[in-house]
Order: sequence, then C-alpha cells, then structure tokens
Amino acid sequence: MDLSKYAALFLAESREHLNACNGSLLEWERAPTSLEPVDRLFRAIHTIKGMAATMGYAGVAQLAHAAENLLDAIRHNRVSADPAIFQLLFRVVDTLGGAVEAADGTEQAADADLIVELDAAALASQGTRTRAEANPESDDSQALPTSPPIPESKLRRATDAPRSRPVQVVISRGAAMRGARAALVLRRAEAFGAVSGVQPPLAQLERDEFDGRFFFRLQSERPEQEIEATLMAVGEVQSVQFKEPALGGDAGGPRRQIRVDLRRLDALMKQVGELVVAKNRLAALTAEADDAALIELSGRISRLVSSMQAEVLASRMTPVGEVFERFPRLARDLSRELGKQIRFDMEGEEIELDRSILDEIGDPLLHLIRNAADHGIEPPDQRVAAGKSSEGRILLSAARERNTVALRVTDDGRGIDRARILAKAHREGVAADEVDTLTDDLLVRVLARPGFSTAGTISGVSGRGVGVDVAMTRVRALGGTLEVRTELGRGSTFLIRVPLTLAIVRALLAEAGGERYAVPLAYVAETVEFDRRAVTSVRGRETLVVRDQVIPTVHLQDLVSTRKASRSARQPTVILEVGDRRTALVVDALLGQQDIVVEPFDAPRGLPPFIGGATILADGKPALILDAAALL
Amino acid sequence: MNQTVLVCDDAIFMRTMISDILSQAGFEVVGEAESGLQAVEKYRSLKPDLVTMDIVMPDMGGIEAVREICKNHPEAKILMCSTMGQQALVVEAIQAGAKDFVVKPFQPSRVLEAVQRVLA
Amino acid sequence: MANPPALHAVIFRIGEIICAAPAGIVREILPRLPATRIPGVPDAVEGLVNVRGSLLTVLDGHLLLEQPRREADEGAIVVLEVKGRSYGLGVGQVIDFLEVPAGSVVERRDLPGVDPRLVKAVGLHAAQHFILLDVDALFAPIIGA
Repeated sequence: MDLSKYAALFLAESREHLNACNGSLLEWERAPTSLEPVDRLFRAIHTIKGMAATMGYAGVAQLAHAAENLLDAIRHNRVSADPAIFQLLFRVVDTLGGAVEAADGTEQAADADLIVELDAAALASQGTRTRAEANPESDDSQALPTSPPIPESKLRRATDAPRSRPVQVVISRGAAMRGARAALVLRRAEAFGAVSGVQPPLAQLERDEFDGRFFFRLQSERPEQEIEATLMAVGEVQSVQFKEPALGGDAGGPRRQIRVDLRRLDALMKQVGELVVAKNRLAALTAEADDAALIELSGRISRLVSSMQAEVLASRMTPVGEVFERFPRLARDLSRELGKQIRFDMEGEEIELDRSILDEIGDPLLHLIRNAADHGIEPPDQRVAAGKSSEGRILLSAARERNTVALRVTDDGRGIDRARILAKAHREGVAADEVDTLTDDLLVRVLARPGFSTAGTISGVSGRGVGVDVAMTRVRALGGTLEVRTELGRGSTFLIRVPLTLAIVRALLAEAGGERYAVPLAYVAETVEFDRRAVTSVRGRETLVVRDQVIPTVHLQDLVSTRKASRSARQPTVILEVGDRRTALVVDALLGQQDIVVEPFDAPRGLPPFIGGATILADGKPALILDAAALL
Repeated sequence: MNQTVLVCDDAIFMRTMISDILSQAGFEVVGEAESGLQAVEKYRSLKPDLVTMDIVMPDMGGIEAVREICKNHPEAKILMCSTMGQQALVVEAIQAGAKDFVVKPFQPSRVLEAVQRVLA
Repeated sequence: MANPPALHAVIFRIGEIICAAPAGIVREILPRLPATRIPGVPDAVEGLVNVRGSLLTVLDGHLLLEQPRREADEGAIVVLEVKGRSYGLGVGQVIDFLEVPAGSVVERRDLPGVDPRLVKAVGLHAAQHFILLDVDALFAPIIGA
C-alpha cells in the first residue's frame, strides 16, 4: 500500500493530537489530581502511536509507546505526577512534535535517551525505590537495555564532561524561520553558560542558509539531560545531541583538523568569490532564457555555490581571542611602565571574524589600548583624589551586532576634555571658528587627524596621538568604522566596527540617476518609503520622520550626479545605521539584493569618501559600493 | 483563573485575529496596544502573563518595545509576531529578550503551540 | 643633441590627433567597453569597465586632449601601466604597432591645439605626424597619489 498520500493526513492529525496533548498537560498541571486530562492525554498519545506504527515511523511509535506506559502507570496510581513528570511529558510532546514533523518514512531512530527516562519514570512507579533491582528483561522489547540507575549515570557523565561541551541541535524540518529558532536555542543555551564556536555562524543562520542542523560549544557543568530538556522546550527542535559535528557525511568520530596555509584559503576564497559572481550572472542569463531544464540546473548550481561559499567562509572564521591573547601582557607591561594600576579585562573572545580582518585588527586595538592606558587611566593618586578606586580598568570586548563585529576599548579614566580638544582644533584650523560644541562625531575626526595629540604631555607610550589616526586608517581600509564616546571624569569608549567577512558582501542594489549603487546590507537597518509629507526640517537640514525617529536624509541623486533630475513625491529610502547613528538614503529605486565581491581598482583622484569600493554585478557591469559610515 | 494576554499590533485585523485565537483557547485578552509605546505602558499597568508583539508598529517598533519591557521585567513572556523575510529582525527581538515567535500568516495551532511554549 | 634610440610604439588616433605610446607600457588593447561612471572624480575619467572579471579605470582620451569625438570611430581602450598601476585610455581608433627608426622622432615640438606639456616627441608615420605622448604628464592630474 502506498502510504505517501496519507502522510499529510498523518501529519495534520498528529499535530492536532499533540496540540490537544499540550492543552491537556497544562490543564493537568494546574490540577494534578484530576484524572480527566490524563485520560485525554493517554488517548491522544495512543492514537499517535497507532498512526505512526501504521505509517512505519518506528521512532515516533517507540517514543509514544514509552510515554503511554508512563501515563498508564500514573492512571493506575503506580506513579504520582510531580513537576519532574510534567516536565518530562512536555518534553515528550515536544519531541513527538519534532519527530512527527520530520518523519518521512526513512528509518528514524527513536530518541533513545528520552525513552530511557520514560521507562525509568514508569519503573519508579512499581512502588519500590530500588530501581536498580528492576529487571530489564521484563521490559518491552522496544526499550533499550535499561541500565537502571539512569539519573546517577547521567550525572556522572555530566561531571566527567569537559567544561566546554559540544552541542548539536537539529531544528524540525517544518519549522518557519529556522534561523530565528536557532537564535532562540542559542539564547536559551546562554542561560547555562558561555556559548561559542557557533557553526554555521549566526549570520548564516539568520539568512536560513543551513539545513536546520547547527552546532555550538557550551560551557556549563549542568547535567546534559537538563540542558537537553531546556533546549527542546524552545520548540520545533527535533533533537539535541552532545556530540561533535560530523564533517561531511555522517562520520560521527572525533573532529579531525589539519593545518592549511592561509594563502590557500585566500585563493579559495577569491575563487569562490568569482564563482559567486559567475553564478549570479548565470542566474540572470537563465532568467531570460525561459528553459526549464536550464533554470533547474542554474538553481542547483546556485545552491551548491551558496553552500560552498558558506563552507569557505566558515573555514576562515577565527575567534577574536587569538588576537586578544597578547593584550593582557601588554596591559600589564604598560601599567608598570606608566606607574599606574590597571586592571585589564576581556569579553567575547569567542566571537568570530574572518581571518583576514582579524589579522588587520590587532594593530588598531593595540593603539587604542595604549591610548587608554596612557591618556585615559589617571595615576593612582589622581584617581583617589577624584573619588575613584586607585585601580583603573580597561575592558576590551567583542560582540556580534547585526552583520558586524563591534570591538570596544573602554576605560574608566579621565575622559577626553572636549573644551581643550576644541580649542586645539580651532587653533589648528580643524574646526571652523563658529563650531562651539564638539560632538562625538567631530571629536573622532579631530582625534584621527594625523599628528593630533590627545595628551597634554607626550609620553613614550602612545606618542603624539598617532594611535587614533593609525587605528582610523586601518579600520576604514577594512570597511569598518571607528567611533568614540567619552565623558569627562568618567572614561572613554573607542568602538571599532568591522564587517564579519571581507570578500563577499550581501548588498542592496539601489538606483539613482539611472546608475546602480551597492549598499552593504550590514549597515541597512530597514527600507521605508520617502514621503514628501513626512519631511521636516531640523536646523536647516531635511529630515524624515520614520515612526518616532527623526532621521536626516541624503538624496543619492544629489550626491552622485551633477544635474538634478525630477523627483517623485514618494521614493524608496534605505535607513542606514552605524552604531546608533542613522541616515535616510533616498534613492530612485531598489533593485533587490545580491552577493557581491569587492574588487580592487586603481582609484582616480577625487574619489568621494562615500564610495567604499567597487564590484561587478550579475549582469557583468561594474557598480560602485557606498560606504555607509561616510554617509552619516 | 485564565491566563491574561496583551495583544500588540497596529492592524485591527491582526489584533482581532490573535485575540480570537487566544480567547478561544481559554486565554483572557486583557488589553490591546497599537504601538510600541502603548505596549510598554500597558504592560506596566496590566502585568499580563503573555504579550504578543508585532515587529513593525508606529511610535516605537516591537523590538524597541521588547527591549524596554525586558529592561524592567526580564521575566516578561513576549511572543513576536513576524512576517516572512523578517528573520534578522526576529533574531534581534530574541536577543532583546523575546521568548518565541510565530510567522504570519498565522495558523492558530502554531500560535497556540508557541504560546504554550512561552508559558511553560 | 643625440637622437633617441629606436622606439616600439602603439599608434592610435584621438579625435584629429595621431598619438603614440611606447610599447613598453602598453599592457593590451581592448575594444570599447561600457563604463560605469564614478561620481565626484574629474570629468576626464570615463569610469570603470569589466575586463574579464577585473576592474579597470578608463580615462577619456578625447577629454584629456580636448579633441572632438569622431562619429565613425569604433573606439578602443589602450591599457597603459603608469607607476605600477594600470589605467585604460579611451581612444578613437588604434592604427598600428610599429618600430620607429631612430632619427624619425624629434624631441618635443609644439603642435597647434595640443598642450605642449603632454608631448614628449613628434614623429612621422605614413606621411603623418604623430605625437609621442608623455603619459605620466597626461595622467598626472587624474590618477591618485
């Protein structure tokens, strides 16, 4: 009999029953002595077991069977329902939900651990506390050999486990937004301890570029079953396993690593980048061809290239900790040299960045840390006089923010004296005379001027303010931004923001004055419609009110073209966001998204700062890439 | 006593639909908000067991509202209501403290599943 | 004054002027390619073109030499290497590649309608004068530091 036509029916009906199960469970939990919800639950699980067995979904049937046993024991007062039992049954329902969604006739293994737990719980019901004596042979043939003291053995495993344990999670196939579901799992996992080494990286998860399976390491001493239960409870999670990811195929053995010359990875990356462009072109040509076989093949190539790109990107991701590790020593040496007490802390060492960016980020950080130690942190006596503890603090932290990584160097030192910097800026002609306040923006521009010293005195450590300008130059070359926040007497934060990867950038294509420009998505907060009627003027600048926010506008057409073309009253608008600053970039049209490869070119003189680079689009024509930071 | 819900969405249609789904399932919809700002205020006064939160709303979006609510009430149980293609925003909302999400168009069963997960 | 040694040169026409560039700095000759304009840069920059998957900045020879464009010209790009970087020079037509015998090129001579600073020498080819361009000087105001 061909069962496939019943699969949909099975799924629909099982979902219904499982929903009912959840309702019954909730009701029962509120009134643990009432029997009616137990009966309903038992019936639903029983029905699912029958259907699953008919369909040949052995895994589902086995789990349902074990749950049914436990419920039966409860119905017959052999076991009393306690919170642990409820928790277990909720997990069963969730797991059955996942298993039902994933069941497709191929042999699905039952969730063995869960069955073991169910059997143990049902056995506990025999009234005897000596579970160890329960006879495994008497058990249903389906169940695994029940090594009796399960909780103990699990506990032992947990204590023996390394501090950082591998976790592999599979999101149910039918789940919507599996990437967001994965984020939910990660978020829940963070409650147990530090999460690191997420594979594929979160950016990829966010774009749903994975098959529902992802991996991370979790630093926690909590028992595996507790972690598993919590992560399963996120919902639409098919399985949680504590094992290393299989590399290609299903070789579940220990993870093996080889050393690869970075140049090989670079070459591979470049080729994959070109492949991505070629793929885009192929897709564009195919779209015109109207040939089903060609379209199918192109689609297949497209998926293959995307997953290859993801693999190559992932292979290049390296934890920032590799660059951070030299800084504690640096901070220690600096504090001695400068006669200051400095406590140096680091956070987010596990955050990953493309190797090529990571290699470039060390120097800028070095300069900023030197700056903080030298100019930021005060000598102990001054700190005490200012009512602070004699020990100053410098924090180096990394955090993922959207498609960028934010690296912060924060000190609790004296902060930057804006009045003094402003006076200096006036003297050196950096700021116009009428400028009477130094915004954070202007401040960073002033500090980043070559040779502009932030210190009243020049010390051997950070010299003549070269720190900020070197950092700025390097960071801009990476397509990143440098920002500063400072409060006199309280300290400063320098923020470096860099893209996750250099070579391939997801970009939004915008049209202005008949030309196309690429806007890296990493800095796109949202797109809205520019409506003349929503425009106001703030201090002579046109601004757009988007919800309750007032955002200055930039018309791309004005920026790029010499002649003014007519404008319509309503235009698509890209809200660019760098840190907490926003700009509304008004364009003529939005042309969709594309993966672009940043291509080098020999720039002519006068290239405006808002041009961040260039690329070749899917149709083979070059296009310029806008630098979001320069538009703010 | 029924569990209480605050429904936040700028579309009356969506609010009605969500309210129907939840009331039929035995929840008590104690308030509705049509902006993030209202959501924050009403959360403060109503202290509902559950909040459903649209992402795109006038006067403070859903993500901001989540951030604002969770700042003072980290235990708040907020379910994001998103549409296809908003994955990055959903991830942001989760990082801001939202406990789960559903994707429009809603299937009542999916909504209730998510609600139950959030309240579990 | 000693004559310059024998010279290999690519001869091309920009508007009404016959020009030559030393073969040593000519990387290749390309057909005319659609260019993407770069905003903000001098007008003489025609834009970026895609050369087999790499980007090339092309300068407009007609604008640089203030020559009118000929309708009939197909157009071509002469890729020149200057200070380690490659730039394309948009020309009207590429005419020839030739070896100019020593003695037929005269150092620097003012020609009507051509900025003398751009002229390195003047030679004779097929009964027509040609200008050996001072490519460094020609590109100097345009290319970045």
